[in-house]
Amino acid sequence: MADTATLIGRPSIGQPTRRVDGPLKVSGGARYAGEYFADDLLHGYVVSGSIAKGRILSIDTSAAMAIPGVVEVFTHENRPRTAWFDSKYQDQVAPPGSPFRPLYGDGILYSGQPIALVVAESFEAARDAAALVKATYAPEEHITDLDAVKGQSYVPPKKRSGIAPPPEPRGDAEAAFAKAPVKVHETYRVAVEHHNPMEPFATTVVRDAGGKLTIYDKTQGSQNAQAYVTGVFGLNQSDVTVVNAFVGGAFGIGLRPQHQLFLAVMAAQALERSVRVVLTRDQMFTLSYRPETIQTLSLGSAPGGKLDAIMHHAVAGTSHFEDYQEVVVNWAGLLYGCDNVKLSYELAKIDTYTPSDMRAPGATLGVFALESAMDELAYAAGVDPLQLRLTNYADFDQNEDKKFTSKALISCYEQGAERFGWSKRSAEPRSMRDGHELVGWGMATGVWEAKINKTAARASLTETGHLEVSSATSDIGTGTYTVMALTGADAFGLPIEHVTARLGDSSLPTAPVEGGSWAAASTSSAVVDACDKLKQALFKQAQSMPDSPFGNVDFDGVAFRDGRMMLAADEGSSVKLGEIVRSARQHRMEAEGSAAPDSATQKEYVSYTHSAIFVEVKVDEELGVVRVTRIVNAVAAGKILNPKAARSQILGGVVMAMGAALEEETFADHNLGRFMNHNFAEYHVPVNADVQDIDVIFVEEPDDKTSPIGAKGIGEIGIVGTTAAIANAVYHATGKRIRDLPITIDKILA
Amino acid sequence: MSDAIRFLLGDRERVLRDVPPTLTVLEYLRRHERRTGTKEGCAEGDCGACTVVLQEPDGQGGLRRRAVNSCIQFVAVLDGRQLLTVEDLKAADGTLHPVQQAIVDRHGSQCGFCTPGFVMQLYSGWLGQDYSERPEVKNWIAGNLCRCTGYGPIIDAGLAALDAERPGTAETTALAERLEALGHGEMLHLAHDGPHGRQEWFAPRSVDELAAIYLAHPDAVLVAGATDVGLWVTKQHRHLATLIDVTRIPELAALRDTGNELAIGAGVTHSAAMEALSALHPDLGKLLTRFAAVQIRNAGTVGGNIANGSPIGDLPPALIALDARLQLRKGREQREIALENFFVAYGNQDRAPGEFVESVTVPKLRPNTRFACYKLSKRFDSDISAVMAAFSVTVEAGRIASARLAFGGMAATPKRAKAAETALMGSAFGLEAFEAAAVALAEDFQPLTDMRASAQYRLLAAQNLLRRFALENAPAGRPVATRVLEIAHG
Repeated sequence: MADTATLIGRPSIGQPTRRVDGPLKVSGGARYAGEYFADDLLHGYVVSGSIAKGRILSIDTSAAMAIPGVVEVFTHENRPRTAWFDSKYQDQVAPPGSPFRPLYGDGILYSGQPIALVVAESFEAARDAAALVKATYAPEEHITDLDAVKGQSYVPPKKRSGIAPPPEPRGDAEAAFAKAPVKVHETYRVAVEHHNPMEPFATTVVRDAGGKLTIYDKTQGSQNAQAYVTGVFGLNQSDVTVVNAFVGGAFGIGLRPQHQLFLAVMAAQALERSVRVVLTRDQMFTLSYRPETIQTLSLGSAPGGKLDAIMHHAVAGTSHFEDYQEVVVNWAGLLYGCDNVKLSYELAKIDTYTPSDMRAPGATLGVFALESAMDELAYAAGVDPLQLRLTNYADFDQNEDKKFTSKALISCYEQGAERFGWSKRSAEPRSMRDGHELVGWGMATGVWEAKINKTAARASLTETGHLEVSSATSDIGTGTYTVMALTGADAFGLPIEHVTARLGDSSLPTAPVEGGSWAAASTSSAVVDACDKLKQALFKQAQSMPDSPFGNVDFDGVAFRDGRMMLAADEGSSVKLGEIVRSARQHRMEAEGSAAPDSATQKEYVSYTHSAIFVEVKVDEELGVVRVTRIVNAVAAGKILNPKAARSQILGGVVMAMGAALEEETFADHNLGRFMNHNFAEYHVPVNADVQDIDVIFVEEPDDKTSPIGAKGIGEIGIVGTTAAIANAVYHATGKRIRDLPITIDKILA
Repeated sequence: MSDAIRFLLGDRERVLRDVPPTLTVLEYLRRHERRTGTKEGCAEGDCGACTVVLQEPDGQGGLRRRAVNSCIQFVAVLDGRQLLTVEDLKAADGTLHPVQQAIVDRHGSQCGFCTPGFVMQLYSGWLGQDYSERPEVKNWIAGNLCRCTGYGPIIDAGLAALDAERPGTAETTALAERLEALGHGEMLHLAHDGPHGRQEWFAPRSVDELAAIYLAHPDAVLVAGATDVGLWVTKQHRHLATLIDVTRIPELAALRDTGNELAIGAGVTHSAAMEALSALHPDLGKLLTRFAAVQIRNAGTVGGNIANGSPIGDLPPALIALDARLQLRKGREQREIALENFFVAYGNQDRAPGEFVESVTVPKLRPNTRFACYKLSKRFDSDISAVMAAFSVTVEAGRIASARLAFGGMAATPKRAKAAETALMGSAFGLEAFEAAAVALAEDFQPLTDMRASAQYRLLAAQNLLRRFALENAPAGRPVATRVLEIAHG
């Protein structure tokens, strides 16, 4: 395998590379938010409320306060003063509305809302005392069932920043649908899912003698968390550093500050001590979730399957205090060529916490419905599902009337189908068997946005010739450390061992939250720019050195390799980089660089990653048991920076899609207004036995417009469309069209 | 009596006195020792992120080892043992252990939070040579969840590290001797005054001691593998005043084969019972692998699985189908009852205060008896059954002479389907007879709809299992390769 190849002395981007953070992670050395200590550390335990809506009438903390070791019990009655205006609680990715303010007042907005924080000298005392906090409530009637309020859905009056609302209708979709010879009109649903990263949320606030705070927080954006803390608590930016060096998964739930951050900082400020607050797995289900969404898809086509009408309508649940929005329906107007398209997206309010982005937010849901409906259309029109996609292939984006920066989806279809053996498929449902099991083959298309966000990075070279690249971005397990180190190594022709990547610290150069699959492309592009600037500074310095060999060349005439700067035309004439730094009488030389989307390109082009997914399932229909035996996921995502990490990202996305398709489902007890299966025993994430053969293909896709480095991002594309491909395979196996995810044993047998 | 827990943390000796007996090993590591490599993902033994390895002398100069979920193990489990965590694996010069290096090389760690659990689980299997093929690795790590990698790279890593050199005999013997020296053979008695009052822990060393202590403390909680009681503490925050550990009693940890029967002591872990149960019928061994992952099987006991009275339980239906009997003891009195009569109603078993399960006796199958177990659940591994079924049907002179059809998940207790059994009696073994039994099954059960399955599913799937049993065991039985008990790979 190429994975043990050494990288010394040659460019490294694009080669399979081991994680630079791997050794720390396998030996217990990587420290997560809840794993920092301080001599004066106090432990906080959150008390969660038990009704879904109403008011707290009384809250009795006396028994808890009597437990030895308990220092304070914070409730809405004795909460220290924080920002009055709710706008101060708004973080970078908050949807429009009034953000939840922990312990703000006696109002209860959702079940599981934090109503108290017990702070004690030991964790055990805090936990034991938390069980003794007794609240009485004046409950009000709540509604957590989306079906009960879907009739009162509305178009969100204020758009969420960064989320494109549905485009204006084009053509006359209703009329075209009415007269279409082939039609599909169906409703699709996906159950509520919780992100369930393996690491529960945690914050450790370490307070120094001068009152400065170092906050170790589980977050996808240290600077977002820092801005939230300074805004809410009226602190100076220079007094608050947020560190998220290691994040044990997040999948979107770490984009917004969670309540344990507020509570830990509040307690640290009030008690003038260091404080740690860790949530339990149960409490993780009181945080945000992927919204339940009811979608109606109408497709009308000519007899051969050429689309003439697309209508996609979605109603998604949101909280009463924020209008969470994601892109659910726009994909239907983007993915296939069609002149009559009507897309609409509405919200309906329920008494839960605000939903949030979860891996490929919106697309996971919308593309499931679209690609299920396309499969239904293929059967209605009597054409092969893959052929149907090719018949309706879109060469440009009709939603925005723009060109694609690149789109190698045809290659995905071709290479994926070839690898899978799609041509051997027998079209008729229930026509393929293996022993007593039914075999089904299904396929679908995946799509996700590709973009970079404004990001800064620093490159710094020491007098010993060691390179450090840094940015306040995050690595939530995605491989940002490694891709940054690779980029730096590449820029200087250094072995990766001579490069250190730093991230996850709000004091580093400005970077956005890590999400939307933009981190690798944005950060590495910024690192390239910083390295370029540093190389130019080194060149300038080198020219001024006595007996410099570079006196008569310009910057283009030098090369960097193996820790040296050399004449491109005469590699023998070289100077060690460390020597250049020393010649400037410095310990290190550094430069900042940045990357940002190019507005001229954006006027003309849109950029997306695409995929084609082919799935085989085997179904024991007497018992309702489905096995996913084979998946081929062919991905077009521009340049692949680290094939090893990229493959892992796709594998993880595919397996998460298997969870969504077959297992993951948060049940609500609508009488109590509460999620019921708040643990890993009853909320099923896939286990290894669910996973068999998964094949990942990256097709060639040159792209010089999405990002300076040529990459598009691969964190989310693996999950999109895969759920539909599984559901389509189940239909092919059984003849049963299940439009309501997850496809559990009882739905197969029903 | 001993009032202290003595053990090795890595290679360092530790003595714990006056600790809360319900302090978990995980909390002890993370908060008291500040060893944070071991993670808490769920605090209920469902995710494996907290996996640690325990080693103890095997009495023959060697070591017995097992990986367990430290989140639901109480500190007393450490007494006389060595506790190894992810921090212990690197060599003194910082070189990673081959298992660790393989995970780095194969990209088996992404966010890294589940990684220490996988490292320790794979390490225990590597040390014990418990796996060599891909399906074995998959079974070995069935109790570890990962949300990032999709598992493939971790399985690859497990296989890649197989050939690395293991510790030599001298090293093992030296450690075994050191641990022998730590052992005291006496009853451990811990007492701790906490915020909710006094807590006591007894770990008797003989059945007589246990009987006497339990009679004196009939309100005590008996703890075996703590795979359930652990959750009372970590999830329900219950204050347990008195706990009695039944796992340090050699008689209860014994398996006895009497020729016609197998007697399983109440303290025998599922791992320890696996071989003997597999010998009774291969389905029983397969059921155990699906019933719980390695870490849980290493802690949980057959006796605990019965005594805790779950309506599903997985093993009880299988043992009821086999006509198992339960030996109970209170003080000096012993009695024996049929296992099926032990389960009186939901949450209610035929067990008096101060009385405990001593053993379960399982008759061996007769040659003319056809037996099978089936477990249906939403997820293949680490999931509670929607329907658990076990059938034992004896044919004499071409007719069904006896039938024991036991189900879990269909009623408030594990229960036989008497109407369906009656329908079978006297018929020829075949689909026709089992069709009649399937119809009669609707008289036996009115199952519930819950998160695991609908009532309709439960009844129909249970009926289909009867049909399947008939087909599989018919003279020209059709081959059935389902994932009911085993996963077919590829």
